[in-house]
Amino acid sequence: MTAKVTREMVEKSGINVDQLVELLVKNAAAELTTYYYYTILRVNLIGLQGEGIKEIAETARIEDRNHFEALVPRIYELGGKLPGNMKDFHDISACPPASLPRDPTDVRAILQVLVEAERCAVRGYTYICNLTAGKDHRTYDLAQAILNEEIEHESWFSEFLGEGSSGHYLRRGETSPFVSKFLK
Amino acid sequence: MKKVFTREELSRYNGRDGAPAYVACNGKVYDVTGSFHWKGGKHHVLHDAGQDLTGSIGRAPHTAEILEKFPVVGMLRD
Repeated sequence: MTAKVTREMVEKSGINVDQLVELLVKNAAAELTTYYYYTILRVNLIGLQGEGIKEIAETARIEDRNHFEALVPRIYELGGKLPGNMKDFHDISACPPASLPRDPTDVRAILQVLVEAERCAVRGYTYICNLTAGKDHRTYDLAQAILNEEIEHESWFSEFLGEGSSGHYLRRGETSPFVSKFLK
Repeated sequence: MKKVFTREELSRYNGRDGAPAYVACNGKVYDVTGSFHWKGGKHHVLHDAGQDLTGSIGRAPHTAEILEKFPVVGMLRD
């Protein structure tokens, strides 16, 4: 393990580091599996109705992949690791699979899948933020950055479902405005 | 007439080794066996089935209302 003092400081703050690492691994699994399932959803967003959702679905897809990329170094910094078997990794995901609905032409049903996936992520990262606030500054910074992006994803899909205004303008610039600093 | 569970009885429903997963909150006992989020009797690493979660719900990123979608299988005796 390389970042010995890193882990020691988190332990000293009172956090059970093994439990935190397990949470991070499960959420990393959720991000990578979501990236996979969103790829399927994205390619099925066709026709007039699907066209309007493509851009936000694609942005969410790429940003969720970025979340996985950002989580991995922190897992290893804290002395954890990814499972050696990818099937096992899939099965420990913190969130249910964002599977294609039975009717792949039902864009509303696809939106429902997307918004529920984001809601699971918002709860998950809120939980990690609450756990680490004031204690594990780096994990908190990372979880908060991811949470910011998941909240935006939820609001986009929720708005498209007609649940209310997201209050968001068009995302300008590159993807992952909050998480990108962890990817440099 | 719903079953009344003692804490000791509830602890047997921990979702492990084929046992159903029950959790208690605010006096009600819920069957969460079918829930994705309670696979293997564990919820987000830190919470075990077979327990009274009333004290933990305040720190959760959701309210107790989320449990209302699960069947109530009994009441928890104080």
